[in-house]
This record gives sequence, C-alpha cells and structure tokens, in this order.
Amino acid sequence: MSWESVIPNVLAGDAKAVACPPMESEEFAGFYERSAQALWAYLARVSTDPALADDLMQESYVRFLGASRSEEGEVAARRYLFRIATNLLRDHWRRPRQASIEEIPEEFFGAPDESGHADSKAMLGPAMKLMRPRDRQLLWLAYAEGYSHREIAEITGLASASIRLLLFRARHKIARLLREQELNDGRRR
Amino acid sequence: MTLFGCAREKEVAALVRLGQWPQACPAELRAHVSLCRVCEEVALVSGAFQRARAEAGTAARLEAAGPLWWRAQLRRRNAAIERIRKPILGAEIFALTITLLVAVGFLASQAGKVYGWLSWFEDLPRTLHFEALWPSMPTSVDGNLWLVVPVLALLALLSGVVVYFASEKQ
Repeated sequence: MSWESVIPNVLAGDAKAVACPPMESEEFAGFYERSAQALWAYLARVSTDPALADDLMQESYVRFLGASRSEEGEVAARRYLFRIATNLLRDHWRRPRQASIEEIPEEFFGAPDESGHADSKAMLGPAMKLMRPRDRQLLWLAYAEGYSHREIAEITGLASASIRLLLFRARHKIARLLREQELNDGRRR
Repeated sequence: MTLFGCAREKEVAALVRLGQWPQACPAELRAHVSLCRVCEEVALVSGAFQRARAEAGTAARLEAAGPLWWRAQLRRRNAAIERIRKPILGAEIFALTITLLVAVGFLASQAGKVYGWLSWFEDLPRTLHFEALWPSMPTSVDGNLWLVVPVLALLALLSGVVVYFASEKQ
C-alpha cells in the first residue's frame, strides 16, 4: 500500500484504512433505541448519579461504535456494550485516587441521587447506597438484566467461578436491607 | 437447596421478570418459595430490581442516536489520521537529522577555506579604513571567529526547527 493511496483516502474519510464501522447509522439507531434505557438504568443505579450516567452512556456508545468487532448478533453486542459501560464506571471510580476499587470508601460513591423520590416507593435506592459498587453491579446485571453467571463474568471481568458466591453474599445483604426497610416503613405507618 | 443456591431460583427469577410472580405461578412453586430461603430472597430481590429497572427506564434522558453515531465516526477518522501521521513525523525527523549531519560535514570539510575567507574578512576593516570611522571598533578579530559563526548559525537553525515543531503541535 503506497502513501499516495492511503493519505488522500484517510483525509477524505471514506477509505478502507478508516475501516467500516461495526454498525450502519440506521442499524445503530434501532440498537440504541432498544438498549439505551436499560444501559442508562444500569449506569444510574450502580453509580447512583444520573448526570454521570448520562455522560458514561454516551461514551459507552461512542466506544462501542469505535470498536472493530465482527457481527455476533444483538445479544452479544448488548453484552459488549454493558462491558464497556462497566469498564468506564471502574475507570471513573479509580480516577481520583490510584487505589483498588475495593479500598475506596462507600461515601465516595454516594453521589447525590436526584431520582430518590422514585426510589422511596421501590425501596431499592437506599438499600443500593449501602451496597459496595461491585455488588451493585452484580445484583443489577443478575436481577434487573437477567444475565447468567457466565455472562456477568464476561461483562465484569471477574472469574466465573467467583460470581456465584459474590452474588449470593450480595443478594443476602440486600434482601436483609430490603426487609429492614420494609419493617421501618411499616412502623412509620 | 444447596448452601449458595437452589435449583429452582432461576425459575423464580424468570417468573418475576415476566411479571408472573406470584399470581400466575403454580401453587406448588409458591409453596416451595415459602419454605426455601434462597428462592424467597430471589423473589424479593428480583421484584425490587425489576420495579427499579422499569422506573429508571422512564427517567432516562436519552440523546438522539445520530449525533452519537457521527461522533464515533469522527473519532475513528481522527484515530486513523493519527496512525498515519506518526510515521510521517518520524520521516521528517530522520530527514532533518540527515540534513544537519550533511551540513556539519560540509562545514568541516570546508573549514580550511572558511579560515581563508575569515582572514580576508579580518583584513576588510583595515582595507576600507573603518577604524577611522569607528574608533571603538575592534581592530583585530579573535582567531576563533571561524568557529563561533557556524555555531551561531547552527543555533539559529535549531531554534527555527524547535519553533516550527512547537507551532505545528499547537
């Protein structure tokens, strides 16, 4: 391949060197419509920050489109999108300090939740804030998105064998918090 | 039921996701859930997460897909241009280095002649009687002048190159 053939094409933006995007505009619009709400819900509930969820969702789609992946179907594409979003969340949490996600205190993640009024009915919001970020991710992927342990391992990068135990502990903890919340609400009434 | 799970927990989670729990679920499964701690937890947690998912979905403020698609195309294109630019910059630096080496070699080979020119240059003020015009002007030029002038010229050239690369980066 000569310089003469590459440079003008790249500058024109239509060369093979730029590579075909994984999705065409119309195809992407359909995929976006079907997946955006679920992705935003995941990001908003796990980060507890709707504004951050807006930003990370846009970046997730831009990176998704930028990745040269072969066509594997919508289910795999959706899973890949959640994986990008999970990595972006992790990067965001790690950015202020160079520490492990496990060492970052809970209050650091507790950004003000503007959608708290909706949570008061569902009771999930306050309980979620008391969970570790990784547990929020696991619980959301398992019980809101319905992903299997293998799929969760693929999205989060955790070992498949450890998902079962981590999820069991997280579920046990949030179930206890939900029951307590229910009890407290019952007493107030 | 095992320590960390129950064989029927997936069934319970699926029914909750489909909105069939507990009304549209078999009585036998309901009876199992009332006795199984894992399935009871799964039903509770799945129900809460499904409600939260439905609420969060309606609260989402979604941008149009078009701008996102174009932003991704722009980023891909910029990345491709950047990939092409890297070897070009390398070639530019290589060419500049060769040019400077050739220039230095040429100057070194011509040093003898330059010394002759400088001698003539040294005699020029005397020939033209400049000392009569400027009393303070040095009447004799230092013997190392033949070295100072090319060094100054080289410094000027390098400064120009640095300024050029700095401005191009900006």
